[in-house]
Amino acid sequence: MTYRYNHSNSVMKICVAAFIFLLPTALLAQDLLFASASQEKRSSLEGNQIYSLREVLDQVQNHYHVSFLYESTVVENKDIFTKVKFKGKVESTLSTLLDPMGLKYKKINDHTYSILPKAPSKSSREKVTLVKDIKESASLFTVPEDDTSYQTEVTPEVVDITVTGVVTDETGSSVPGANVLVKGTTTGTTTDAEGRYTINVTDESSVLVITFIGYTSKEVVVGSQKEISIQLSPDIRQLNEVVVVGYGTQKRSSVTGAVATVSSKDVAALPVISVESAIQGRVPGVQVTNNGSPGTSPTVRIRGVGSITGASQPLYVIDGFPQASYLNNIDTKDIESVEVLKDAAASAVYGSRAANGVIIITTKSGARDNKVHVEADTYYGVQQAWKQLDLLHTPDYLKYATDLTTNAGTAIPQRIVSGLDNPIYAGTTQTYRQTDTDWQNAMFRTAPITQTQVSLSTGSEKSKLYTSVSKFDQDGIMLGTNFNRYSLRLNYENKLSKRFTFGENFNISYSKTRNQAESGGRTILQHIIHSVPYIPVYDPTLQGGFRAPSGNDGADPENPVRIATMDQNRDNVMNLIGRAFVEAKIIDGLKYRFTAGLNYSVARHTEDMPIFNDGFAGRTTHNLVDNRTTTTSPYYSNQLTYDKTFGAHTLNVIAVAERQGNSSVYLGAAGQQSRNDISQLLGSSNQTATGTLNENELLSYLGRINYEYKGKYLVSASIRRDGYSGFAPGKKWGNFPGVSVGWRLNEEDFMKTVPAISELKLRASYGSLGSIANVGSYEYQSYINTNTAYDFNNGSTSGAYFDKLPNKNLTWEKTKMTNYGVDLGLFENRITFSAEYFVRNVDDLLLDVPPSPSLGYTQASKLNIAAMKNWGGEFVLGYNKSEGDVTFNVSANVGIIRNKVNHLNTPNAVLYSGSNADFGGFNITRTIAGRPIQEFYGYKTDGIFQNQAEIDAANARDNDATTLFQANAAPGDIRFKDVNGDGVINSDDQVSLGNYLPNFTYGLNFSANYKSFDLTLFLQGVQGNEIYNGTKVLGQGMLRLFGAQTDVLNAWTPDNTNTNVPRAVSGDPNQNSRTSDRFIEDGSYLRLKNVSIGYSLPSGVAQSMTGNTLKKLRVYISAQNLLTFTKYSGYDPEIGNRYQNSAGNTLINGIDFGQFPSPRTVMAGLQVGF
Amino acid sequence: MKTKIIVSTALAIFIYTSCSDSILDKTSPNNVPAENYYKTTDELTRAVTGVYALIQGTDLGGREYFFLQDLRSDDVASGGGQLETPRNQLLIGSHNSTNGVMTSVYDGFFRLIHRCNAIISGAEAAQGDETLKKRLVAESRFLRAWAYYNLVAFWGGVPIYETFGTSFSDAKPRNTDAEVWNFVYSELNALQADLPTSYSGADLGRATRGAALMVLAKAYMFNADYTNAKTQLEAIKGLGYALTDKYFDNFTEETEYNKESIFELSYTSSGNFNWDSDGNGTTVNESWIRSQEYSAVGWRNLIPSDGLINEFEPNDPRIKDNFYFIGDTYGAAASPVILTDTKVQGNTSNFQGVDQKVSWKKYSIMYKYDPGGYYDMIGINYRVYRYADVLLMLAECENEIGTAPAAIAYLNQIRNRPSVMMPNYPTAEFPANSKTEIMKAIMHERRTELAGEEVRNFDILRWRKAGKFATEPLPYFVANKFEVLPIPQDELNSNPNITQADQNSGY
Repeated sequence: MTYRYNHSNSVMKICVAAFIFLLPTALLAQDLLFASASQEKRSSLEGNQIYSLREVLDQVQNHYHVSFLYESTVVENKDIFTKVKFKGKVESTLSTLLDPMGLKYKKINDHTYSILPKAPSKSSREKVTLVKDIKESASLFTVPEDDTSYQTEVTPEVVDITVTGVVTDETGSSVPGANVLVKGTTTGTTTDAEGRYTINVTDESSVLVITFIGYTSKEVVVGSQKEISIQLSPDIRQLNEVVVVGYGTQKRSSVTGAVATVSSKDVAALPVISVESAIQGRVPGVQVTNNGSPGTSPTVRIRGVGSITGASQPLYVIDGFPQASYLNNIDTKDIESVEVLKDAAASAVYGSRAANGVIIITTKSGARDNKVHVEADTYYGVQQAWKQLDLLHTPDYLKYATDLTTNAGTAIPQRIVSGLDNPIYAGTTQTYRQTDTDWQNAMFRTAPITQTQVSLSTGSEKSKLYTSVSKFDQDGIMLGTNFNRYSLRLNYENKLSKRFTFGENFNISYSKTRNQAESGGRTILQHIIHSVPYIPVYDPTLQGGFRAPSGNDGADPENPVRIATMDQNRDNVMNLIGRAFVEAKIIDGLKYRFTAGLNYSVARHTEDMPIFNDGFAGRTTHNLVDNRTTTTSPYYSNQLTYDKTFGAHTLNVIAVAERQGNSSVYLGAAGQQSRNDISQLLGSSNQTATGTLNENELLSYLGRINYEYKGKYLVSASIRRDGYSGFAPGKKWGNFPGVSVGWRLNEEDFMKTVPAISELKLRASYGSLGSIANVGSYEYQSYINTNTAYDFNNGSTSGAYFDKLPNKNLTWEKTKMTNYGVDLGLFENRITFSAEYFVRNVDDLLLDVPPSPSLGYTQASKLNIAAMKNWGGEFVLGYNKSEGDVTFNVSANVGIIRNKVNHLNTPNAVLYSGSNADFGGFNITRTIAGRPIQEFYGYKTDGIFQNQAEIDAANARDNDATTLFQANAAPGDIRFKDVNGDGVINSDDQVSLGNYLPNFTYGLNFSANYKSFDLTLFLQGVQGNEIYNGTKVLGQGMLRLFGAQTDVLNAWTPDNTNTNVPRAVSGDPNQNSRTSDRFIEDGSYLRLKNVSIGYSLPSGVAQSMTGNTLKKLRVYISAQNLLTFTKYSGYDPEIGNRYQNSAGNTLINGIDFGQFPSPRTVMAGLQVGF
Repeated sequence: MKTKIIVSTALAIFIYTSCSDSILDKTSPNNVPAENYYKTTDELTRAVTGVYALIQGTDLGGREYFFLQDLRSDDVASGGGQLETPRNQLLIGSHNSTNGVMTSVYDGFFRLIHRCNAIISGAEAAQGDETLKKRLVAESRFLRAWAYYNLVAFWGGVPIYETFGTSFSDAKPRNTDAEVWNFVYSELNALQADLPTSYSGADLGRATRGAALMVLAKAYMFNADYTNAKTQLEAIKGLGYALTDKYFDNFTEETEYNKESIFELSYTSSGNFNWDSDGNGTTVNESWIRSQEYSAVGWRNLIPSDGLINEFEPNDPRIKDNFYFIGDTYGAAASPVILTDTKVQGNTSNFQGVDQKVSWKKYSIMYKYDPGGYYDMIGINYRVYRYADVLLMLAECENEIGTAPAAIAYLNQIRNRPSVMMPNYPTAEFPANSKTEIMKAIMHERRTELAGEEVRNFDILRWRKAGKFATEPLPYFVANKFEVLPIPQDELNSNPNITQADQNSGY
């Protein structure tokens, strides 16, 4: 039984109406039929114009601007033979119209009427019978069991039981306009504005059926109850669900590409800054890896890595505005849905920017219910690190330091030799020996996170409005990091007239991020691990008040607390994004829409580096940096849309011409102050200023045809032609076609015999996409730089040079993707299953290719010279059930992706990356054709040399003891594996040590409602990836003297031979810390990403307690990252990319340089609706 | 009618918003395309400044060049755990073709060559004063030749580029040793006449004819061509250089561009140290990191080796100009500070039989500041070449092809500097009675006078080649390997014309 909340003209309705219309002719000739032909035939059959009741009701709706609610079967197969006359009020028109049909109306509110059958009369039964006959003769259709209900003769009972109650949604809000029907009868009613209903039933065995669009229907046995309140749960998979696709919407059932939807509920479930983090684990094939301190953008990869050195981030489209920037500035609570276009056919309409997938974000709009909804949503939580490392305490550190230096034949630090009993600074009695600083404790903190959003929405048949304000504050779990955001949104739409519609979306937001300040190229965690425990955090005798080890200590970590407290690195972003459109209906089915949009942002980056002296290093000037980037991206789009259903043929055609510009003005200033209390540039010395302007333009033309035959054969084809100003003359234009087909088997006769299968669709698609990657506005050229100077005779003179080879053939990275999918729904879609298989070939990949060093060019040039392949599968399984007071649904998704680099610039070309001086300066990853991108590459360990005899034996393996097996090896050093068996360990013995790409990623969501309680469990995980654990290199690499992990106490000595930690020797002569399997760890993890329990005050209670003011009240507590199951020994297995936001560092994913760990959050929240 | 209005409005907007393709033609408002530059002498002048600025950068003079020279010599020892791994590898001879320090210097010199080639190529058609143009080209050719001199000495034969590459495929194979040396000789011979003997004012610091002659002489010396070397050195002698009275004046900020100086790299203390490898990214004067790297109160990455400090004759006043000992005073003359043991981190040396901490004083800012870890205040110019070296090389030439008295006289000129006033050769320790004995004195005098001035490495290389050593100075030395550095792996990886087969032996 399908009820429709029918408020606007839709493709669906035309489709259904026309379908019914044309049934007889369709029977006669199952052929391609066109409107004129069918018109002719109908006229000859009836000799008059026929309108379906649905059509007529639509006209009435449009005329009076009202909405009708009705059960589909009520209006189906009812034809009207005269043209409808609008006279007087809507009520009189309706009476005239409905009476002869055996129908009546009920006024729900000023703008909403429900249409119900009168008590079953003879005429209606006859009509039904007639229809049934037609259907049977058609034989193409089997009549669903439920549809026979009208034939059931109901004997009215005299004894009526009156049942009342309230219908609420999953959040406890009342649901007006829900249909309540006595099962097996035509007795029904609709809930009022407060969600209340009153219905008479004949006996206690009667069953109430409650239905509402978007929710699963619910059945309740009346029994002895007089008051039955029902909570509905959302239908997670509606056949009629509308999916936002590029430049329009489509019914879920008609979609032929790989398009995934994340609902507003899921997007808002986590207390995260951006939509990127919000969709983590929700969509198979979309891998999201969080990257660091609050405000750092996560890494998002749709269907694998699409680029080697370019950007692999997807294209974000917000409310139709492509290439939206600063996603951190979009409040996730404003989001209605997130659609991920994964395959090439679905994304081809975005052409040259869509190669890495498209994420379409649609923000909320008002409901057309003529009511004002005010909702407030607030939460407060605390975050903590969920893990700490075991670092050395003072006594152990002293022993370690002595061993490390003594074994290397170098001096023991002066302080350890003779200074430990001195006071830590003048004026205190505390000595170094008595000091045992816990640097982790000093840096990590319990940090608050809180957000409050207030929204107002309203809507009528004519217009809808949604507006919200929100404030978000998050402190990082390490000192000196935070994120704040203020945001205001206004979405508005108005049907100006019958022809014109105007709409706009507008968001202004301001965010402030205090970034983790790195110092000396080391992350803060690196400084924490490196710090010396006998050194105090504070020293009031020094300028700035902080203390760090000095020359006497033989180690030079910087004080992380000082860095985090004093040094400030901030990004403040004002972002304005909006678009407005005017849509005009030109003729029936043909619409023209003009959209103008703008994304304007001012990003200010400041650095404030005060004067200090930590006892060893310091700054003599207060260095200030104040940079701003003003970006203006205007967007103009002209779109023609033609929607038409001709008989069994449904057609949707769009044609678009658009352009989008991008202008980025950078102004950078820096200077030095001589005192710390002045933090602005006024009066500073050594002032410098620089500025650039970068402008580019994208011109696009695109067209798409969606064609559907009988709702079961689906074809979609599109092409986009893009011109981008940033490419060399002659290389600016590119074409990006896409085609997809679908076959809905469940619409076929032979499938109708399997009633268990409610939906079965096969899909296939192929398309071509592009990626501008990181290509700058003028990138193909080589330019003169003048940002250098030389001081002849100590006076500054500026110089000029160019250090890059031009590439006049620079063009798009190109992706070709094939996709196969199947969608299956069982038992009225109680069980749903989707599977996808894709092959994604990327060609013309841009590499930042460094020319041979001897050519003398410092900069790498972008060349389109690599190829890569990603392939894999995605699976989603869902189950939902509602029984009595309990409703629950479970969904699970798995994404599997494999990657292979097919080709680099030359057949034997290799890209190395990841070297870091503190890890010994060895490359960590290698990218080579024939292997997955950026594999960890290094040596295999083969135990520890226990004595000189073992080393001698190894040296003699090649029968020549003078050729050393492993130069500089001594007992206690790691023995590396001689992979090629040539008797010497050299670069030829390096092998692949694994990859950061997981074997699969998965998510599991369970949600249940029981009476007024709701529960959500969300698990997310990755499996089969490796991490290069840099924190282990820092913790037990023993390259030179620094603080370390307690593992070093287990270092090899002649007396401690049963260990896997090599000998402690400063300088690491054997290169024990070279890239090897010693530091590669399994990065798999399973996380209880979210667990949430909520309680909603029953709707009636809330309203009666507050005199109808409060419509909804829900309190909840939730926890994020409550449990993490992993074997990884570092702080956190979610290791993204340290330099996510800077170019040219793309091949260091999965290397843990000491990145900011993900916190564990516990929070409580309150949602109220008025 | 309404439909017509809508359609025509739509069409109008459509035309307005889509424009023509010409909006896709955009040129940078930020900087000049490289092919439009090098057209005037003004542009050439800036480009030449860009070459000097590069030498000042971290990959070359700013940091890695002096490190590489010192680490390859026996003048230095590890200061302790502070010394980073790639540096330590060079010091103990465990480096391979991926060593970062070595790679930086290699890259730096080739970038210098590229910048020079762009000027030399562009100059032919450039507008402007011909004399100036000639000088700018000569400066560029000098700097390029200096780069090749260093490259061939460190790595052996390397590719010779006389024009800049315009595409990836322009990468060249290795030239032979001899070809590179011949290129250095012919270039320096050809260009020296175009360089002035001195500059004044805002040009102070540019390459002079003296500098060109010096590099040419050093190139000949490297290959034991004493005849040709002597010619160049005597020509320098005729240019008016002289020793300063005070030895230490060669290493202070106040006495830059003095009469002894032949070629200097300029640094000033008014700006921060620029960590960019090429010295790019700032228009402010740059300070030098060296003081911080080596100073007693500093990172003390490298300290003078025991061999070096004990090479000095016990009464040589240059000891105190080269090194700091515990108990010495430092800092501002008005408020001197005593250098105590606790201020100095790292390893101890054995000086004259006593274990003590000895640190570099040469080029340390400590002669006038208490640095306390600040590395952005050292503006001492790096004296790449100075006249004392000329005299010492002349002594060597005289010993090889001239007369012993002349050789000894040159040596004694060095020892008779007013601030030095060491007893003349022959001495008891250095009797200087034979060619071999004179050579011993020359080696001694060079090592002490030019200690820590990045001379020793090339001296070892050339003397080893000429068989002058009774005992090998480097403990890790293995023949057919450590004479040269490995060609950086990056070059092998990216240059199709240089493969592992072309790698230097032993790597």
